[in-house]
Amino acid sequence: MLTCREVVNSADHLIERELSRRQQLAMKVHLLMCRHCRRYVRQLRALLQAIPFMHSKASDSEVRDVMEHIQSHQSESR
Amino acid sequence: MEVREKTNFMDNATLHRLKAGDQSLFAELVRDNHRALIALAVPIVGQSEAEEVVQNAWLKAHQAIATFEGRAQLRTWLGRIVINEAKMQLRKRGRELLFSDWQSDEQSGDALADRFNRSGRWQSPPADWETDTPEDLLMREDLASCLEELLDAMPVNQRTVLELRDTTGFSFEDICNELSLSASNVRVILHRARSQLYKLVDHYEETGEC
Ligand SMILES: [Zn+2]
Repeated sequence: MLTCREVVNSADHLIERELSRRQQLAMKVHLLMCRHCRRYVRQLRALLQAIPFMHSKASDSEVRDVMEHIQSHQSESR
Repeated sequence: MEVREKTNFMDNATLHRLKAGDQSLFAELVRDNHRALIALAVPIVGQSEAEEVVQNAWLKAHQAIATFEGRAQLRTWLGRIVINEAKMQLRKRGRELLFSDWQSDEQSGDALADRFNRSGRWQSPPADWETDTPEDLLMREDLASCLEELLDAMPVNQRTVLELRDTTGFSFEDICNELSLSASNVRVILHRARSQLYKLVDHYEETGEC
């Protein structure tokens, strides 16, 4: 049977659906019996969904800088 | 992953307008992605040049937006332009994207390694995270400065792989190609980066501070 440490090390692969059927089954069996690992995997999923949002939106002035840079190049090339 | 798509959520009609040259939509694209793209460029060219690299990338993106085919997410498409610009910048400076210290990351180890006992069972199991919506998990105000600190202190290889895969949506194959790393190496590096984030959130959930 897998240890909790092994489950944690393979959880990324489970979420990315990269495990063989046998490996997946071994994970499922462990997860059925271990609530700590169930929680770990559930929360890892939530974390991975959160990471794309960890960089906040740009400020008005940052957006303005980019747009002005683009516009100045457009008028140059005209 | 579904939620990843939401960082660039755009229906077909909107995308069509964007490609046709709608400036206010392009400005929204900048607003949603600029900081993530800066974060992608920083570990490669450094803080001082990241701004310039991303500015140039926006210029290229603006010129090429009509050719965006929608096969990748917009952020991934933008990320690719940033990586190319960053590499060009390195070449201009006579440098190369070559992290020779990438293999020797052994000592940093796994942030969660000490949470298990000798037989590999949880010794201090994860706290129960109270999350209403997963998107907000890392966006809470009192977490922001700790998150920034953690990302700044992260080994450059972990930071790069994390930004490429988890915020920009690059495939493993593309990451291996871009960074000339083996697939297994990329996965170990990514696992370590994620474990650090996991530990940060877990500690915050348990203690209310970070
Ligand atoms: Zn377990």
